[in-house]
Amino acid sequence: MTTHEFLLTAWDWNPFVLAACVITLLLYGLSCRWKFSGKSFFFLAGLVLCFLALDSPVSLLARGTLFSAHMLQHLLLVLIVPPLLLMGLPGSGAHGQIPGRLLPWGNNPLIAWFSGVGAMWIWHVPALCDAAASNGSVHVLQTFSLLFLGVLFWRPIVSARKEDRLSPLAGIPYLFTACVACSLLGIWISFAPVGVCPVYMNPVDQLGILPMIRNGWGLTPIADQQIGGLLMWVPACLIYLGAIMVLLGRYYRRPIKEMEIKNARKK
Amino acid sequence: MKGTTSHPPSIEIFHAQKAGEGFFSWVATVDHKRIGILYLLTAFFFFGVGGLEALVMRVQLAKPNNTLLSPDAYNQLFTMHGTTMIFLVVMPTLIGLANYFVPLMIGARDMAFPRLNAMSYWFLPFGGLLLHFSLLAGGAPSVGWFSYAPLSETPFAPSPGVDYWILALFALGIGSISTSINLIATVLALRAPGMSIRRLPLFAWMVFVNSFLLIMALPALNAAIIMLFIDRQLEAHFFLPSHGGSAILWQHFFWTFGHPEVYIMVLPAFGIISEVIPVFARKPIFGYEFVAASTVAIAILSFGVWAHHMFAVGLGQPMDLFFAASSMMIAVPTGVKIFNWSATLWGGSIHLTTSMLFAVAFLLQFTLGGLSGVTFAVVPIDWQVTDTYYLVAHFHYVLFGGSFFGVFAGLYYWFPKMTGRLLSESIGKVHFWLTVIGFNMAFFVQHFLGLMGMTRRVYTYPDYPGWGLLNMVSTIGAFILGLSVLVLVWNMAVSLRRGTPAGDNPWNAWTLEWAASSPPAEHNFDQLPPIQGRRPLWDLAHPENPDEPEASGGEPESKRSDRNKTGMMCFIASEAFFFIMLLIAYIFYNFSQHPNPGAQWLNPLKTGIFTFCLLASSFTFWRAEKRLGAKDHTGFLVWLLATLALGGVFLVGQGMEYFELFLKGLRAGTNLFSASFFMVTGLHGLHVLVGLIWLLIVLGFALAGDFKTGKTESVKTMGFYWHFVDVVWIVVFTAIYLVGPVS
Repeated sequence: MTTHEFLLTAWDWNPFVLAACVITLLLYGLSCRWKFSGKSFFFLAGLVLCFLALDSPVSLLARGTLFSAHMLQHLLLVLIVPPLLLMGLPGSGAHGQIPGRLLPWGNNPLIAWFSGVGAMWIWHVPALCDAAASNGSVHVLQTFSLLFLGVLFWRPIVSARKEDRLSPLAGIPYLFTACVACSLLGIWISFAPVGVCPVYMNPVDQLGILPMIRNGWGLTPIADQQIGGLLMWVPACLIYLGAIMVLLGRYYRRPIKEMEIKNARKK
Repeated sequence: MKGTTSHPPSIEIFHAQKAGEGFFSWVATVDHKRIGILYLLTAFFFFGVGGLEALVMRVQLAKPNNTLLSPDAYNQLFTMHGTTMIFLVVMPTLIGLANYFVPLMIGARDMAFPRLNAMSYWFLPFGGLLLHFSLLAGGAPSVGWFSYAPLSETPFAPSPGVDYWILALFALGIGSISTSINLIATVLALRAPGMSIRRLPLFAWMVFVNSFLLIMALPALNAAIIMLFIDRQLEAHFFLPSHGGSAILWQHFFWTFGHPEVYIMVLPAFGIISEVIPVFARKPIFGYEFVAASTVAIAILSFGVWAHHMFAVGLGQPMDLFFAASSMMIAVPTGVKIFNWSATLWGGSIHLTTSMLFAVAFLLQFTLGGLSGVTFAVVPIDWQVTDTYYLVAHFHYVLFGGSFFGVFAGLYYWFPKMTGRLLSESIGKVHFWLTVIGFNMAFFVQHFLGLMGMTRRVYTYPDYPGWGLLNMVSTIGAFILGLSVLVLVWNMAVSLRRGTPAGDNPWNAWTLEWAASSPPAEHNFDQLPPIQGRRPLWDLAHPENPDEPEASGGEPESKRSDRNKTGMMCFIASEAFFFIMLLIAYIFYNFSQHPNPGAQWLNPLKTGIFTFCLLASSFTFWRAEKRLGAKDHTGFLVWLLATLALGGVFLVGQGMEYFELFLKGLRAGTNLFSASFFMVTGLHGLHVLVGLIWLLIVLGFALAGDFKTGKTESVKTMGFYWHFVDVVWIVVFTAIYLVGPVS
């Protein structure tokens, strides 16, 4: 199989994923009466990336073949899809409060922090990582938990409702420490001379794609794991860093906005 | 004060008496301005020392096959030159300026912890002496400023030079970390009313961000040099590949510190430039928010790029790729700053004072150094030019063309504030042009030498075509640079004797330090101007056109942090990074290596009981705090004593465990397990011991009745430390006793 063929054919088209995405989109459209704003772009992007993470060739490779594909999926589901979805929600109205209602304790930043960091660490305990890569139902559980924990983690930073957010200067240590925790795991995975997720060391090649990966792409199991670790270490940290920059932007912008409001009131 | 009680003292007498005169008043000072000056003077002295070392090396290199210096003397010289310039010159200079000006800029009376500040300073001469004492003790270190293992290990560096190098760096590190904690606490706790974080002068902001960088980067160095010290003194083999150790781990640890260190040495210089350029372009800085935010981006990214120092090691393609990308990325926030400074100049009415000349030269030269830095991010280029003079040229453009030019800009800008007298502009211009010409002559040609293949750190070179000429040019440049320093000394001497009095604000600058007298009174300000924007003195002079017209009502005042709590939290953060490094070392040596005998003798159950004691001591301390809060002093004393006893039991337990292991023949040098085990648990035990001593002091104060007045902050602050030590033990216990060596 060539890479080209592989990329064209290796889509899951999993009906559940497809249905979930379509239904979420319908609900979103109905709730805002099909009037899309700039925010909706974030939501749509989140949905599309969620679909790609779960249905594209990445998903197929992540199920027991390539550790780096698993890591890409993992990072999409924890670090990218949840904040995009949250940013897409309208700030006011009933469904701006959905996350808050679902998670009464979710306002506690400590719990939120441990959710985000836990999502990284717990699913990379070798036994759990193996189980999720080889067992379908564990994989589903993993997917849901990652999205859920991701939403919990990002809510204090990007929640559409301003009341739910941490103050920008408190958000910076929140994100920075999460970045350190994530990097440490990434460093461990990159340098570990043993398989962090042993399944990926000797994948069962059901689809006949292993020759393409090993010879065509030149990915040995060790290089594959290194790339996985590095993905968690470097690009993931850039996401946290990007969020920190957003917070600083907000911090410096805020007084002007407050002043504008004040001035408007005076008039 | 006794003599003045009968008469109401005039202000001058009051100052003279309080500030004191004479040598001892400087030794005993806790005034941030005097400490700042002490830092600057000490750094300037070592600048002379390091500079002379450089000149001797340049003489040796002036012609091919020169034999002025023996290879070993040359090795000692470049090691001492690098170590001196980095740890005894650039860092203390920037810290000295920060010490002097950050409190003034934020309208504070002094630093948050003046006595800690004095202690931090005295670690500098102490560290400098330790380093140079090696000359008397059998030769200076000769293994380069990054002391790569295994060259720095006993078999290859038997003289005690490296040991003094380690001790000196450790002492200097303590000083730097405590200053950083002090600066953070000062900025967070002591800002004047109206001085919100978003209004901080950029120098103060960058020093603030830089301090976080310091408290997180230095622990990596400390962990590494402690391991090297254990190797050298206790015959362990952490970094000796011949005995199963890893030389690469030294490089990783060193550069985990070393790359942030590059930014530690340049961020405050960025801050100086961000102060000088707007003042002499008569415009507010362009894009304050971008300059401020990009500083944070640089600080965070600087921890994620260290492996680009190790491309030649052979880390593997994935590693090289990712780090090449992240190394290139760090050029983006740095570039943002260059654009902001240039845009500040754009359309400004530029006053080319000496200070401004240095700032503009900084822009050009730092950009050159930055660009050659980006070329190192390209892996194949790095393989070609690493450890050649191209690299030497690169980092001198960053550290001399960048940091030092920034420092000189700051010196000409702030000297009148510190002494009350202006530096001569005409001598200053001579100084500037000699520096620019000398610097570029000395280092620009080294790019070519490097590309031609001349390697650094080799005491001489063969007579290849062009090499002799270029090296001679470089040597002449170095001597012009040396001459320029003499001109600076002359300028300062002239200024101090008969310089033009500066007045409070000679440059019509806008930040708060210029509202104080020159030199500032011991208490800094008689009265602070109102702070309603980023440029309080501009607002004061132009009430009709303030920077933030909307803010006249004052913005919502955020609460200032508690200085004790802030200081302790920063200390704990630094310690946490230290223990993370130690645990990484433990995991590295014990998980996945060939199993080392010794681990099977550990007794998790027995140690578990002592662990319980330590954790219980956290609980008893918490109870003690509660009792103190309820003003129940007897209860407080009882719980405090219980804490002491439980902590003591833990230490006794550790002693017994060590004794048993000793009897079984386990020493620090036995194998990698024993070395890392004794290191991690021993350093934790040391922290418990420090905590116990601290508790005894608290007990002493309590018995003396100090807490009856309701001043209980010190107990709370101590509590954070004690709980932290317990949390560390939970992690250590889990890693060593519960998970244990895995193979």
